[in-house]
Amino acid sequence: AALYSRTVSKPNNKNPILMMLSVHPSRALMDEAFVILVQNVPPGFQVTLHALHRCEDGHRWEACAHYVADSSGNINAADDCSVGGSYFGVEPMGLLWSLKPVPGSKPGLRWVRCACDPTHSNIHVNGPQKLHCCFGPPKGPGPFPGLLDLWGGGGQLMEYRSALLASHGIASLALDYLTRTDQSLTVPVSVQTAYRVLQQHPQVLGSRIAMLGLSLGTVFTLKMAASLSPQLRCAVCISGSHIQPVSGEGGVMCLCYRNFEKISFSEQDEVIWRGLLLPIPSDPSLKVDVGRLQCPLLLVVGEDDQNWCSHESATDMKQMMERAGNDQLLTLLSYPGTGHLIEPPYTPHTPSMMVLWGGKTPEHSAAQEDSWRKIVTFLRRNLYGGSDPHAVNLSHL
Amino acid sequence: MFRSHVSVTIVRQLVEISTKHRLFVFGKLITGKRIVGSMRWESSIRPAPLLTATPVRTLVDEQTCIKASFLPSNHHVTVCARMRSDEGDLWQSFAHYNSNSGGTFDLNSDLSVGGSYSGCEPMGLFWSMQPAPGERDGLRLRKKCVESPYTVHISLLEGHVSPNQEPVKELAAVTAERWYMAPGVKRQEIRQNGLVGTLFIPPGGSALFSLFFLLFRCSNSPYHFCSLLGPGPFPAMLDMWGMGGGLPEYRSSLFASRGYASFCLAYVGHKDLPGPPNTINVGDSYFQAAFQFLQDHSHIAADKVGIVGLSYGCYLTFHTATLAGVKPACLIGINGPVGSSRELLRVNVMTKECDKDQTFWNYDDQGYVIFKQTSLPSNLYPESIVKLEEITCPLMYIVGEDDLSASSKENADLIEETLRAAGKSHLFTRLSYPGAGHLIEPPYSPMSRASFWAVKPEKLMTLWGGHPAPHAAAQEDAWKKMLEFMELNLRR
Repeated sequence: AALYSRTVSKPNNKNPILMMLSVHPSRALMDEAFVILVQNVPPGFQVTLHALHRCEDGHRWEACAHYVADSSGNINAADDCSVGGSYFGVEPMGLLWSLKPVPGSKPGLRWVRCACDPTHSNIHVNGPQKLHCCFGPPKGPGPFPGLLDLWGGGGQLMEYRSALLASHGIASLALDYLTRTDQSLTVPVSVQTAYRVLQQHPQVLGSRIAMLGLSLGTVFTLKMAASLSPQLRCAVCISGSHIQPVSGEGGVMCLCYRNFEKISFSEQDEVIWRGLLLPIPSDPSLKVDVGRLQCPLLLVVGEDDQNWCSHESATDMKQMMERAGNDQLLTLLSYPGTGHLIEPPYTPHTPSMMVLWGGKTPEHSAAQEDSWRKIVTFLRRNLYGGSDPHAVNLSHL
Repeated sequence: MFRSHVSVTIVRQLVEISTKHRLFVFGKLITGKRIVGSMRWESSIRPAPLLTATPVRTLVDEQTCIKASFLPSNHHVTVCARMRSDEGDLWQSFAHYNSNSGGTFDLNSDLSVGGSYSGCEPMGLFWSMQPAPGERDGLRLRKKCVESPYTVHISLLEGHVSPNQEPVKELAAVTAERWYMAPGVKRQEIRQNGLVGTLFIPPGGSALFSLFFLLFRCSNSPYHFCSLLGPGPFPAMLDMWGMGGGLPEYRSSLFASRGYASFCLAYVGHKDLPGPPNTINVGDSYFQAAFQFLQDHSHIAADKVGIVGLSYGCYLTFHTATLAGVKPACLIGINGPVGSSRELLRVNVMTKECDKDQTFWNYDDQGYVIFKQTSLPSNLYPESIVKLEEITCPLMYIVGEDDLSASSKENADLIEETLRAAGKSHLFTRLSYPGAGHLIEPPYSPMSRASFWAVKPEKLMTLWGGHPAPHAAAQEDAWKKMLEFMELNLRR
């Protein structure tokens, strides 16, 4: 997003108050924090900060916050309390994550961000099977550790998480692994093929490849991790589940269609999918055997996830790994009040979009900020760290 | 625990034989990707080190923090920065660092042990840039197009090397952008009432893009809304440069990025100005009109307009301040005289005077012209010396003590004495920088000790003075103090 500084004065006044609004630094990547400063404010003056953003799809989002200037005549969003508006308390990035569609907007909007950091380049790779993906390695000769990034069932290829990971030194390939044919979701493209393409790329260090999955993407991430061939360096699963038929075609979508009567609706007629895979089955053929994992696994779940039973799945996975004796590989980050779409930080929270995602805005935004930092640390430690991935101690996370 | 540097050496030797072939094969496999650098970190055990610049896109006067990680410990590396000027010339710098036991180093805290600069210099790679070997002579880096950034390629090389020696092994790289304009600053070319200049307005007021704006109220009166479509009013600066002419916009665009409207004014050597080129064909009314243009502007607060000038622009700054109807809120003069050296109208400023006129041009043993004597107070045209005792607003004067183009120190002494005699010392601020030359410009920019003054009728180089490290320190400090001075006098 682009941000601006501005000064205003009181009209009809011979001695205008020339306040200055500034943002430091003037430009930042989407996951970098910045400081919002208002200077030369009369002490005790009441001020409202208002943010307005027009998305690439044309919709407008806004947020506001009320502040009172201190005796030095400054307001600093990183130090001062918002006493009203879209968020309360000390929230340096509150004006970004509390953005909501302006009144009168179409219902069910989701924040869309397709443009990448300009230094991130896209290529479309053609292997024996046609792959649609976005691959942007960091700048430089490399080799860089690689990551296969699988988004959720929403189906649209989102490149910006790959771009953010590139800025942290990880060559990330975001794979469009779903196609919509005849109104159904099938997986014609092999995730294995994408892995091999990544492994063979001259700028990727083939021995250090991780996988990251969100929602439906976690199913394939866990399957790959548990298959042990190829050996992933580590895996991150956000808001997902291990429940699926272990073999055969159709996979998790078949299971969903079979349990269709378990879908419920909220008071606003939003679809709640989370009951579909509940209760957690005890039949091992319906779950990925996470007891077989040999690489570190980071699970990120929202306890108010209304779309998938990710919280219950995570608990079950933990128990499976404890029984199998490989639970030292597991790091579980569980966030209260947080919904399904746990995305890179400072993006506005969408509690629903015809489908109920869940989560309350302040808790969800805090979870996005905290989990992203921990995901990046986890990936860097495992992908760049010492030769023995088992030796990485993540108990501090 | 394997010793990483040993493994890397062995791997490197093993693959050196097949590197060329392998690169070619991969070049065919993947389309649209060109492998940079002549060799690369060949290892199947460890990933390459990582070089980061945070933030990666900044304004020119902002610092960026350059760090490297995942290097072997106590490893010799070279950081190299390269960029192209608007004219296409390659500028570069490099510095030698040693990684610590954790395999990292950070330009904010670590020392350069050789190269274009030494010691702890967080922004050294930027201000120490010089034209690369083989580039044209007599270059001076000046941004012509302020709407596009400088793209700086920063790379990490193996060992303590010079980037121009072959072969170099590139380990990692990052591209940083350095902007002269913040997002939302508006640029307007001004060609009205005979004025030739460019106006920059600080951001605000567009309904189409992201913005922050202020709504405020005080306890006793109703809400005052700031219209989404009309920004300001802003404090403003009239901005003038030296006898080199043209219309440098880059200082004004930065002022606007910092919240001050700024109007850079051309007065010599511009195609849209009247009369023969390289002669000053505008008089007092021109500068009065320029100041009034700012005062009358709907987005500018009429009583919060200051003037800044470098070199001859400094004389024009003080002179304009004494013209009728001009009441500036503050004045900033950089390395310039308080008077004019001769009757300048209709005299060509680029060439040496004909024999019957006096000239104070001196030459060093390389034939470079040194203008310093021209602005010595005793050589100034007496009637032109500005009556500074009549100044009523704060005045800041900046001296580069190694200025070879202007007698800055002598003029500063004269201003100080004049104001003291008039009981106005409290209006005067003097900044003086040892080792700094004539061209004290926005910070972190490379400097030129000498560059071309004219190319016709023959090539003539001029000596500006200054040495890289002290000049860079002067630019950084002076800019900060200028902005503070403007904040104090234009906003409060």
